Formats: sequence, C-alpha cells, structure tokens
Amino acid sequence: MELANTLSQDGESRGGVLAHLERLETQVSRCRKKLEEPQSTQAVESALGTRIHELRRLRDKLRAEVKQHQARVKASTTNVEPDQTLEITEQEILKRKRENVKAILQAYRFTGISGKLTSRGVCVCIGTAFEGNLLDSYFVDLVMQKPPQIHHHSIPVFIPLEEISAKYLQTNIQHFLFTLCEYLNAYSGRKYQADRLQSDFAAFLAGPLQRNSLCNLLSFTYKAEPEGQSFPFCARLLYRDLTTTLPTDVTVTYQGTDALSTTREEQRAAHENLFFTKPLHQVFTSFASKGDKLDMSLVS
Amino acid sequence: MDETVSEFFRRTILKIPMTEMMTILKTWNFLSENQLQTINFRQRKDSLVQDLVLLCEENRASLKDAALLDIIYTQFHRHQKVWDVFQMSKGPGEDIDLFDMEQFKSSFKKILKRALKNVTVSFRDAEENAVWIRIAWGTQYRKPNQYKPSYVVYYSQTPYAFTSSSQLKSNLPLLGQALTIASKHHQIVKMDLRSRYLDSLKAIVFKQYNQTFETHNSTTPLQERSLGLDINMDSRIIHENKIEKERVQRVTQEIFGDYPQPRLEFAQYKLETKFKSDLNGGILAEREEPLRCLVKFSSPHLLEALKSLAPAGIADAPLSPLLTCIPNKGMNYFKIRDK
Repeated sequence: MELANTLSQDGESRGGVLAHLERLETQVSRCRKKLEEPQSTQAVESALGTRIHELRRLRDKLRAEVKQHQARVKASTTNVEPDQTLEITEQEILKRKRENVKAILQAYRFTGISGKLTSRGVCVCIGTAFEGNLLDSYFVDLVMQKPPQIHHHSIPVFIPLEEISAKYLQTNIQHFLFTLCEYLNAYSGRKYQADRLQSDFAAFLAGPLQRNSLCNLLSFTYKAEPEGQSFPFCARLLYRDLTTTLPTDVTVTYQGTDALSTTREEQRAAHENLFFTKPLHQVFTSFASKGDKLDMSLVS
Repeated sequence: MDETVSEFFRRTILKIPMTEMMTILKTWNFLSENQLQTINFRQRKDSLVQDLVLLCEENRASLKDAALLDIIYTQFHRHQKVWDVFQMSKGPGEDIDLFDMEQFKSSFKKILKRALKNVTVSFRDAEENAVWIRIAWGTQYRKPNQYKPSYVVYYSQTPYAFTSSSQLKSNLPLLGQALTIASKHHQIVKMDLRSRYLDSLKAIVFKQYNQTFETHNSTTPLQERSLGLDINMDSRIIHENKIEKERVQRVTQEIFGDYPQPRLEFAQYKLETKFKSDLNGGILAEREEPLRCLVKFSSPHLLEALKSLAPAGIADAPLSPLLTCIPNKGMNYFKIRDK
C-alpha cells in the first residue's frame, strides 16, 4: 500500500510500477496455477485410477458370481439327473414292452390264424401259404352272440362257406376255423401251382391252361421238351378232395393217331406218376432240368 | 362273305366310338397289327368302317368272328344293358363240383341247338374263371336275329348267372334250362335284383362289397376316421344339436359301413297293404281290400343317396329296414303285403 502511495506522487512512474507489480502478480498467480494444474490433473488421474480399480473390482466380483451360479446350476443338475433318468428308463421300458406286444400281434398273422377283438366279437384273419410262399389272406368277421354268426367276410363265393358254417359254427368255432383254414390253404396252393404253370412254364404248354374257380380241374396239352421233337401229351388233373393240393385223379393221354412206342408209353406212365406225387410246377421244373441235362450230353 | 354277315360287321363296327376303335380292334385280335396299319384311322367314320369291313372280307371273317367282336363291344359297354340275376341251386349232398369249362360250353350249346335249330351261341372267357355267352335267337323257320342277342355272364362253381334283359322273353325258360343243366345244377330262380352295373350286382351277390376288416396291421384306427361331418371346424360356430348329429353319424356308419356302396339305380316297392290311418274316419280307413300302389326310388347311385339322407337331415336315423336291407338281401324289387 505504501509503495502504491509513494508512487502515486509521480503519476507516470506510478502507473508503470503499479502496472509492473500487477503484471508480476498475475505472473505469480499464473505460475501458481501451473503448479496447481499438474496437481489437479494428478488428482483427476488418481480419481480415474481409483475409478478403474473400482470397476475392475466390480467386474471380478460379477465374474465370480456368474461362475458361482454356473457351478450351482451344474451341481443342481447333477443332483437332479439320476432321478430323471430313472423316470425315462421306466417310460422307455413300458414303451418298448408295448411296441413288442404290438409287433407280436402283427406277426401273429404268420401263424395262419390270427384275430382282433371287435366291438361285435372277433375279426379272424386266415393267412394262406404254400411251400413257404405267403399267399392271400382271408377275413371272417364273427359276431359272438349266443348263436355265433358271420357278419361279413372276404371268402371267395366258390368256397363252401355255408356248408362249413352250418356244420361247425354253432357247435365248435375252433373246428369251424380249422376246416375253413384247410379249404383256403388248399385252394391257395392249387391256385399257386396253376398260376406258376401258366406264367413260368408257358413254353412247355401247347395250348391255354384250362382251369376253374376252385382250380380243382386242370386240363392242358404239354411237351416235356419245349423245343424238342417230343410229342405233346394231354394231361387232365382232378382234385376231388378240396382240402389237398395234389390231384386225386390224373390222366395223361397221347394225342397222335399212331400207337405209342414203348419208350413213349413209359414216359407217359412216368409223367402220370409225377403229377400224382409232385406239385404241378415242380413237375415242370424237373422237365426243364432234364432238358438241360440232355443239352449237356449233346454238347459233350 | 354273306351280305347279312357283312352288314352285321358294318353295324357292329359303326357302334364303336372312335376313341375306342383301336383298343377294341386290338382286343379282338382278328386283324393283325400290319393289317391295321394299312387303314387310315383319321378319315371320316363312315369310310373308316367301310375300309374295315373290306379288310374283314379279305380275311374271310365269319359270323363267329363278328359275334366275338359284338361280345367285346358289350364288355366295354356293359352299362348299356340292364342285367338280371339268376340263382341256381343243387340238390342236397351233391358231389364236389368238378367244373370243366369246355364241357360246360359244349353242353350249353348242345341244349340250345337241340331245342332251336336256328341259334348262334358264342363264348368269350373273361378274368380267371368267368365266361361271357352271346346268344342270337331264331326260330324253326327264321335265321337268328343278330341285332337282339342275349348275354349271360357266368362265374364257374358259383350259383349265380347274370343275364342281359332280353326283349325276347319267350326264350328265357330255355336259357335258364341250358344254364342249369350245363352247370350241373337242379333249379334256377330269378332274383329280384336288377341294375345296369354288372360289377355292383356281382359285388352284392358274391358279398364282396364290404371289404374293410379290423386287423392289428391297420394304421388308421376305425374310431378316429372322420365320419364326414367335421363338427369342430370353426370354434366360432356352436352346433346346437351336436349330440344328435353324432348319434345320426354313428347309426349311419353302423348300418352302411365305411366302404363304397354298390351302385344301383332304383328300388321298387309294390305295396299291397290295407290303408292305415291315424284319423278315425275317412273313406279309405274302412276299405277291406288292400290298396295297390308302386313306390319307386331312383338315383344315379341309390345306396349312397340313402346313406346321405339321415346326415343331411332329410330322414330320421335309423332308416327303414326296407331301404337298408337292399345289399344284404340282394333285392331291389319288393312286394309288400300285410302279414
């Protein structure tokens, strides 16, 4: 203050000195500020540093929590699994049992006679087979009332169903089904033989195969060697027993006008015997294989 | 070739629609492939028929060949005829039927020829076990009329024969006799069953129309199959009489089954019953004599129509047994009298 007063006597020099002093003052305050700045930045830095530490700490804490939670979940699932798998296996066992039973019921049709219960009674399925070949299946839908009755069926009309049911249906259903099974299997077998002859051995036949609905009368003209010079024979097969697949009557005749040589006669008799004892298509298979043997002998 | 035979050929071939011409000629198998190739099938039908008749003449076609062509045409157009059904019966305790088709044919022909000198009988085997027979009838003094033949379809070792209703009714007893004797039966009776649809008649008498059976192998359980009325289609629609609708569906399904019905065109009921009335008085109520009237139901597919009556709400379920017994009894002609 005193400086300021003494200087104020000299107007110009006062301005100079005071101003100079002011300038120095501002310089000092600036320097002080500059000195303080690093301090403040440092403060800021340190503040940020602590903040970073804090955040890191928080992050680690959360990570740890997550890990803990996962571990807990794992622990809990490992705890639960044994119970759940127990349930699953029980269910699976039952399911497998049920499928097994279903499959057995479905496979029952291979036994020849199988059935399914219906609201009215039972639907019986009769499967037919011949020489290990599965053939057609036929159905009889039975109404199990006091006198059992047939509701509807798929039995061909030429099978004597009315006769068989009149005899056995009321008294002994088992016998009824077994008899029907016999008739149907025999019919299927005869039909199979006739179909095989027509389709596989057409080369041996000199004319069309004559047959009827029951395939119990077959008439045809054939040659034992299709390309050979053998004479055609006429065969007539009768199946008087509808429960068999082999004929009861066989006649093999010769068509020509001149008398048969002894070898031909022997052949004719042998063929007759073959038709009696072997199924029709097997007889022709043996003709075919004999033909092969003959060819072999010619070649050698 | 005889002029009458030539004319018969012309008229038979003319009947065949152009779309079926090739198929039928090939089935006939009288003209070979090479011969058919020489014919221009794109020309007008008149000239095509002329060419074909000429070709037949060149190949010395006979009446027998023409009759065979006629059978094939009829087999393709079986719905054009109305078929009756005859049932034959044997005596009790007969031997096993050893049916010989050739024997049957020759026996049948012989019987007809013995009775009527002038008759043309032709056969064509069909399927595995059936025969179509064509009979052109003449008299002692007149040649057979080839334009009004009768047809018989017979399945061996069955008691049924299907005949096209012939306009010449006087020949029916002779036809019946020939059939019975040739197939080794004793009696023949005409059934009250008639339709254009030969396959449906066969399904009815051979009992082949219901071929759905419950097995363990079936994939669709019967109960789950839709019965035609999807009641729960839209949840905004509430069906007031749902229970009744379901009852009607159930009853209809029990009676008619799930299978396609055999096709018939009509059912005819001849009533000879006394008039029954709820009202006390009335002129007809005291009438002693039965009232005669004929009720005929016609439809392109009668049984399907009857099946849809109750679900459509037109009739009560169950329907009258007179309507529902048709395929079971094998009848569509009924005579109803008072008991």
